[in-house]
Amino acid sequence: MAVDITLLFKASVKTVKTRNKALGVAAGDSARDELLKRGAARSKSDFTGRAREVISNIGKLKDFLLQHRKDYINAYSHIMSEYVRMTDTERDQIDQDAQIFMRTCADAIHQLRTEAHKDVQSAQVKEHRTAVLDFIEDYLKRVCKLYSEQRAIRVKRVIDKKRLSRLEPEQSNISKSPLSPEKNSQNPLDDSEEKLSSEESKDRNMPDAQSNLGLWGDGKGEDELSPEEIQMFEQENQRLVGEMNNLFDEVRQIEGKVVEISRLQEIFTEKVLQQETDIDNIHQLVVGATENIKEGNEDIREMFFYCLGSGFMFLNQQLQDFVRSYSVRNLKWYNQPDFYSPESNGSFVLCSEATNSHRGLSFF
Amino acid sequence: MAAGIREKQTVALKRMLNFNVPPVKNSTGEPVWKVLIYDRFGQDIISPLLSVKELRDMGITLHLLLHSDRDPIPDVPAIYFVMPTEENIDRMCQDLRNQLYESYYLNFISAISRSKLEDIANAAIGANAVTQVAKVFDQYLNFITLEDDMFVLCNQNKELVSYRAINRPDITDTEMETIMDTIVDSLFCFFVTLGAIPIIRCSRGTAAEMVAVKLDKKLRENLRDARNSLFTGDTLGAGQFSFQRPLLVLVDRNIDLATPLHHTWTYQALVHDVLDFHLNRVNLEESTGTESIPAGARPKKKNKKSYDLTASDKFWQKHKGSPFPEVAESVQQELESYRAQEDEVKRLKSIMGIEGEDEGAISMLSDNTAKLTSAVSSLPELLEKKRLIDLHTNVATAVLEHIKARKLDVYFEYEEKIMSKSTLDKSLLDMISDPDAGTPEDKMRLFLIYYISSAQAPSEIDLEQYKKALTDAGCNLAPLNYIKQWKAFTKMASAPTSYGNTTPKPLGLFSRVMNTGSQFVMEGVKNLVLKQQNLPVTRILDNLMEMKSNPETDDYRYFDPKMLRGSDSSVPRNKNPFQEAIVFVVGGGNYIEYQNLIDYIKGKQGKHVLYGCSELFNATQFIKQLSQLGQK
Repeated sequence: MAVDITLLFKASVKTVKTRNKALGVAAGDSARDELLKRGAARSKSDFTGRAREVISNIGKLKDFLLQHRKDYINAYSHIMSEYVRMTDTERDQIDQDAQIFMRTCADAIHQLRTEAHKDVQSAQVKEHRTAVLDFIEDYLKRVCKLYSEQRAIRVKRVIDKKRLSRLEPEQSNISKSPLSPEKNSQNPLDDSEEKLSSEESKDRNMPDAQSNLGLWGDGKGEDELSPEEIQMFEQENQRLVGEMNNLFDEVRQIEGKVVEISRLQEIFTEKVLQQETDIDNIHQLVVGATENIKEGNEDIREMFFYCLGSGFMFLNQQLQDFVRSYSVRNLKWYNQPDFYSPESNGSFVLCSEATNSHRGLSFF
Repeated sequence: MAAGIREKQTVALKRMLNFNVPPVKNSTGEPVWKVLIYDRFGQDIISPLLSVKELRDMGITLHLLLHSDRDPIPDVPAIYFVMPTEENIDRMCQDLRNQLYESYYLNFISAISRSKLEDIANAAIGANAVTQVAKVFDQYLNFITLEDDMFVLCNQNKELVSYRAINRPDITDTEMETIMDTIVDSLFCFFVTLGAIPIIRCSRGTAAEMVAVKLDKKLRENLRDARNSLFTGDTLGAGQFSFQRPLLVLVDRNIDLATPLHHTWTYQALVHDVLDFHLNRVNLEESTGTESIPAGARPKKKNKKSYDLTASDKFWQKHKGSPFPEVAESVQQELESYRAQEDEVKRLKSIMGIEGEDEGAISMLSDNTAKLTSAVSSLPELLEKKRLIDLHTNVATAVLEHIKARKLDVYFEYEEKIMSKSTLDKSLLDMISDPDAGTPEDKMRLFLIYYISSAQAPSEIDLEQYKKALTDAGCNLAPLNYIKQWKAFTKMASAPTSYGNTTPKPLGLFSRVMNTGSQFVMEGVKNLVLKQQNLPVTRILDNLMEMKSNPETDDYRYFDPKMLRGSDSSVPRNKNPFQEAIVFVVGGGNYIEYQNLIDYIKGKQGKHVLYGCSELFNATQFIKQLSQLGQK
């Protein structure tokens, strides 16, 4: 168990001070010098100040998200009574604001990163600053996760809602359809933080809908509308709701897919970036190899001429064959992998140039 | 005490790194950054427990050695974790004067003396930095925990407390005192961290007794001092309210010199014996593959690789005590299961490619997406598994090479037979003069074990014969001199301890492993099964813990720091068997004993044992110490 001896230390400080006074030892720098020293130190702390600013901004974002989180997830229905509810437009506004904010913070971090290494000599300070920026970025990521979590919940609910309403196609008679969206939205309200289980809510749908059907029917009967008009209105309602549902269907479908796939996308982009660096490396190698081949070809050509000059023709034939087969083999090798960088096409061109020079030679 | 010592020490370290405030779990907490400064002692303590990543998670941006060149880093609190020695204090005062950091949190590994504290105070006043020194703590963490239930005292200055240092014939009293003080200080820190006051038992007339007396005195003084006692209040866990106190058994290395020389067959002990392994890190030298390299090319480069064998390595935790062939098989199995999982992921990939566009319904797509998501998220797990398999394949292959080159299995079997006094099928002389089995050191070990465990010394003629054979094989005979002296000494004390009467049963020359066509071609290596046998240390523990009466241990002294008056009796006041025990070997220990204790305690339900030693050596290092002793 650790023992806090800070008080003991303070006591030692006092002892030493009194001892020094008694012995007449100088009391160290005066207060003024201390302030001067501190002032000098403070100018170096510009980086830290800005880092702290970014952190406080991210903190504000986090508070903002947490504050509205309950409303965001919880008050999902359209017919919520007394409490403050959030319409979808408000939610979209929150989403947009959060995104802008996150982008600004990310930019600020990036800027700090480039500036961090500017006027610093010591390697340790550099490492320290890099690590600090990593921490801040991590913090931002965690806060962004908050945001994306609640967004994912929202989208999931919508998908499930759609799935539910689609799962009861035979119950799509007139009175049910305006009711079912409401009932479905009530159910997520009940289990706001848990996963939606479709069977449960389906079961709850039935009795609720039944009871309300009676009420609805009674309510309508007291109006002045005639039965034909009721039926006409109900049919029109049904048609409208069907149309709306279809539209919403498509939009939510796509949104759901996109959200899930974007998560995968993130992972894949990382991998692709890795691959890109690998490809760059390979490209460097290829270019180097091409250069080597070119030079080799030059050398061989020189030798050709030399040989020709000396009259060794039969050797030339063998050499030609060898060179031709070699260049053809290289062509094949270049053809195989599927590069997507434009420079690789350039290297392909270079190589074919080299082989063309060989062909030119053979005609000679 | 059900929480192992490793957990306790880790918790203490994490708290220290959190400015000595218990850390709060907050997933969206603001980042705080700090710099950690340690000396070599601190480094040895922290490195088996916290990885660099964990340090990062706690907000440490830089971790530096105290005595390195450090640049001023503005606006960052610095946490120091050092021993309170003169040079460390001087360096810290220098730091204060140079205004390197914004605030200072000083943590001393063991308690700092008043005068040194005043030195720091002086420097702080001189540098006008008193307000910057935010907190000063005595951490009482002066020991290194290697496993959940194993600790050593120190690594940096282990020559100071080595077997050789304690048993030197020319040791002075003051030197002995210093050594004992160091050991007791560390043991005291250990018990403070554990939060328990043990009942101490030790044998008479050994270094262990000196340690016991001093430890008892120190614990007693601390308990009496009610104001500053370290054992009150929140340090006591729930276990302290029970009547169970742990038993501390202090033994001296001299009761059993054969075990450190023994060739071994369990994975962890083998790695320690054969490869370069300390503080849970193994360093391997690998040659780059076995392809033939054309003449004129660069010579084969040897890569140095080092691996950390930590608590999070599940394979290691499971198999570190298993016999080696079992380990080889398990690596094979892990590799196969990993390959199966990899195939599953690949199959999923191809399915996704085919079925992605055909199905229109959302549910189908989201199912596939979900499957893919789960496959992708299990990828890091899979990669981690692969890394572990690679690691263990490399380590096990290296060990296997050594085994095959030195025929360690033969030695193991032979030594087991010697130690259990069963008949030997090959004479010792043959073993020693056999040119391909083992290095000269192996032969020396074998002979020393034979010498130690035989009831009477071999006759002069035989001895001369052996000596000649040994020198022919290239051994240095200095350890033998020392062992002779030791034997003469202990003969006066008691009869040599026996090692139990079990024999290892070889399961045939060709193990099943070879038949499955694995990488570990173990042909010619016997697949030996270890029979449970109790080493002397384990037997002593058994007697003391179960309150058995045994002539060996009846004479042991009994200390209880909580009793008001110390008594010199050997009669224990407490008649019940103990549930928890700590075995501490003064003079050095090794993994074989540790493994033996673990195996013993596994058979007992609900009992725990911790193993500690003043230093950890393998047979090579021990032989070196013995030869140094024998040369005097």
